[in-house]
Amino acid sequence: MRRIISSAVLFLLAATSVAQAATPEDSIKYRKAVMETMAGHIAAITMIFSGKIDAQAYLLSHAEALAAAGDEVGKLFPAGSGVGKTEALPLIWQETERFQKDADAAKAATAQLRDAIKSGDKAAIGKALKPVGDSCKGCHDRYRQED
Amino acid sequence: MLAAGLLWAAAAPADSVIERGRYLAAAGGCVSCHTEDRDDATPWAGGRALATPFGTFYSPNITPDRDTGIGAWTEAQFVTALREGRSPNGAAYFPAFPYPAYAGMEVEDARAIYAYLMSLAPVSRANQSHSLPWYLKMRLAARGWQWLFFRPQPFVADATRDADWNRGAYLVRHLGHCGECHTPRRALGALRAGEEMAGNPVGPEDRKVPNITPDEKDGIGDWSLSDIELFLEIGMLPDGDFAGAGMGQVIDDNTSQLTPADRHAIAVYLKALPPRPNPR
Repeated sequence: MRRIISSAVLFLLAATSVAQAATPEDSIKYRKAVMETMAGHIAAITMIFSGKIDAQAYLLSHAEALAAAGDEVGKLFPAGSGVGKTEALPLIWQETERFQKDADAAKAATAQLRDAIKSGDKAAIGKALKPVGDSCKGCHDRYRQED
Repeated sequence: MLAAGLLWAAAAPADSVIERGRYLAAAGGCVSCHTEDRDDATPWAGGRALATPFGTFYSPNITPDRDTGIGAWTEAQFVTALREGRSPNGAAYFPAFPYPAYAGMEVEDARAIYAYLMSLAPVSRANQSHSLPWYLKMRLAARGWQWLFFRPQPFVADATRDADWNRGAYLVRHLGHCGECHTPRRALGALRAGEEMAGNPVGPEDRKVPNITPDEKDGIGDWSLSDIELFLEIGMLPDGDFAGAGMGQVIDDNTSQLTPADRHAIAVYLKALPPRPNPR
């Protein structure tokens, strides 16, 4: 019974969230949260891969989570979410085509890193880390206001 | 080690001097400023706008094109430009060109960079004049600035420090000219010597540049040597964030191209700086 009720509640929540578009404030908060999880997973992957932390068993789950977020990057910048408490520069919405290409590169790079980690091939993992970093760095250099 | 380096350079065929020059030019970060900020820009042909509190400077073409580049320059003229801030016709350069840092460059290193640049394909691209307030328009203004602030001094190794520290000092202070962005400036643009690497609230392109002294609160005191080395190699901060805002390009063009030993030397030097709070 309880299970049925909570499913119903969840369904209602889902239904209402589908019904209304996110506010710019929420889009910004969500974007930051997802970006921060990406940072966390990359830091974790790097520390495990470099042997500083002995947590080999979790390497793949970090990579899976990173790739999932990488898949989402291109959808984190809806129109109208460039104003307010954000470091996202207006250029993102002025050259959407180029920006989406960069977002696709983030998706491809994080997917490749996940696949490399799945394969367990150390050389492949080392090689796959670089495009992930390049992709993060490239976008931040062009599209993020830092201070 | 230095003597061995010089001997090696003198005895080596031109190809390895060029190769050494290519490496040193990367360590000098030359291409970042001497290339226009466009995706299809030709490297080394200049034209990048450098917005500063003193006006906007446009970097010149340093390909060996005889008419628009530096193809007609002698090696000695090139070395003078780098280490003394004078153009071949004797005019003083504005310090947007980081010769106050390059002044400490070993002459052999400057020569190798010349050899490398002369090995590039000449590109015809006319230089654009700087966009400056009227009182800076005269080259005499740059001469006055040099008279006030510019005391070229060769790099002298500190015998009380180890080889890594000294190599790091050479790369950070001179070739890499890190202080040009990371050290705060006085009213007329001279670096505040007592606040080396303490950060700059008004850096190039109006961007705030972080404190990279080992200060626990304001600086990078909680970064390990390997954190700094990895950052210089791939751009990742210890929390997994990735640098942007100009530093991303410095990593691409300069620090990621260095040998692990040179990145280690830079880290050793930075960690040995006195911790300093952010400038007020």
